[in-house]
Amino acid sequence: MMNTSEILEQLNCIFRKVLKNDSLVLTETTTAADVDGWDSLTNMQLITEIEKRFVLRFTFREIVKLKNVGDLCSVILSKLKQA
Amino acid sequence: MSFISFEFIILFVCCFLLYCLAGNKGRKYILLAASSVFIGYYHPMFLVTALLISLLSYYAGQCIEKVRLSGHARTAYAVTVLLLVGGWILFRYADKLSGNGSWLFPLGISFYTFQAISYLTEIYWEEEKPEKNLTDFLLYMLFFMKFLAGPIERSAGFLPQIRNLQKPSYPMMVYGLRLIVVGLMKKLVIADQLSPYINGIFDSSHTASGIQLLMACLLYPVELYADFSGYTDMAIGGAMMFGIALSPNFNRPFVAQSTTDFWRRWHMSLSFWVRDYLYMPLASATRRWGQWGITCSLLVTFVALGAWHGAGWTFVVYGLIQGIVIVYELKTQTWSNAVRKSRWNRLYSAFSVIRTYLVFALSLVFFRSASVSEACSFISRMSFQHNVSWKEMNIGMSDHICIVTGAGLALIFLYEYFMARTDLLERLSRVPLPLRWAIYYLVIFAILAYGKFGMEEFIYLQF
Repeated sequence: MMNTSEILEQLNCIFRKVLKNDSLVLTETTTAADVDGWDSLTNMQLITEIEKRFVLRFTFREIVKLKNVGDLCSVILSKLKQA
Repeated sequence: MSFISFEFIILFVCCFLLYCLAGNKGRKYILLAASSVFIGYYHPMFLVTALLISLLSYYAGQCIEKVRLSGHARTAYAVTVLLLVGGWILFRYADKLSGNGSWLFPLGISFYTFQAISYLTEIYWEEEKPEKNLTDFLLYMLFFMKFLAGPIERSAGFLPQIRNLQKPSYPMMVYGLRLIVVGLMKKLVIADQLSPYINGIFDSSHTASGIQLLMACLLYPVELYADFSGYTDMAIGGAMMFGIALSPNFNRPFVAQSTTDFWRRWHMSLSFWVRDYLYMPLASATRRWGQWGITCSLLVTFVALGAWHGAGWTFVVYGLIQGIVIVYELKTQTWSNAVRKSRWNRLYSAFSVIRTYLVFALSLVFFRSASVSEACSFISRMSFQHNVSWKEMNIGMSDHICIVTGAGLALIFLYEYFMARTDLLERLSRVPLPLRWAIYYLVIFAILAYGKFGMEEFIYLQF
């Protein structure tokens, strides 16, 4: 079972790839406002890539409720536990 | 009752005085009474329509929460949203369908219907609880400073302010007044001065020359911006005098380097609304289609945004153009990011600002024209011919008006440039008293001397 820091590491790779920013470093408190290029247009690309990588599916309500990277890690963790 | 009318000033002053004298509990009733007078003054049926839609939304919000446990929240939500959208479409198209012009389009309906949908959606998503106090909810829907043309407020930002209405503080009153003066400057010195000449070209585009069509096309975004952002400044400033902070609607749109960025700066309360309640659900539902999902969601969203403005294909085309350009920008993002990192960055940025303005100006030809064919004819006849006289280029404006609007525009752009760095209106309080009052007198004199009075209506009132 993965832990939060491992999930964060994987998320970092996905964000770097989708946003084409190799110097990006995510923390649990990072929000869309902190990251160049993370907007409503790229958000769904990120979600799709995360779903593919972790083999899970977010509901729309879960996506709406995400406020920062920490929330994203928590949702992924709880989904992985359920699987 | 336009913001720039004697009747409105009377209503505003009476409401403000009573508001200052009233106790904590009485303030909201005064605002609600003033809002009812404001709406009913246009036409009593506008008030009846607004009240009916508000009551429907209020009870629907309670109902969605009540039936959540029994699993019927989705049905209650869907039925109410369908009723709201259906009602809005009915009013929007009734006049066209009946063909006799007997149907009145209720003022502000597009704005308060969107507020109602946003409120119900937040309850349905369990992001918010339904409002229990009917007076507070009615004020959220009907508050007169934002009723006619927004900003489209979210209940999460507006209702807590209504629940705790305070006696307005002196700094807020002064700040609000300053903002109203900025709005008046935009409206009277720029928009209303340009309006008759641009209208003249658009209304008789078949007889105008190519260069006149081009000039009208290039100037219309300026007129629309001065008119709508002037209205918004007055709305935000007026609300601030009652201690209520409304959402911003504009953030220097003409410095946007892409159409994507432009829509984060232009009519923000509407574009954020369609992003959150239309684009996000659509993009989420179609995300398995990859890039195609995002493309389709964007196109549907912007077509809807265009269609929100009115019945007719012109608005659909206006929205579609925005959608297509944003999709193009998304596809070429890697390339444009590479250029931005190169030594050509500054040149590319300047080019991008101009390109974004031109795309918007061109799309506004559809927004402003009576039909798609008229817009196409307008665009096809625009010309860049040289050897044209200044008399032809200035679309009939006298040199005096060109100088006044040009200087007014330069002042507004300068003001916005500095406002992006520091709050000029707040800093004005720290300016020595004689200088501050000299500035006040100068601005008021400029508005009285160079403003065009007698054209009270705002462009966005028709939506």
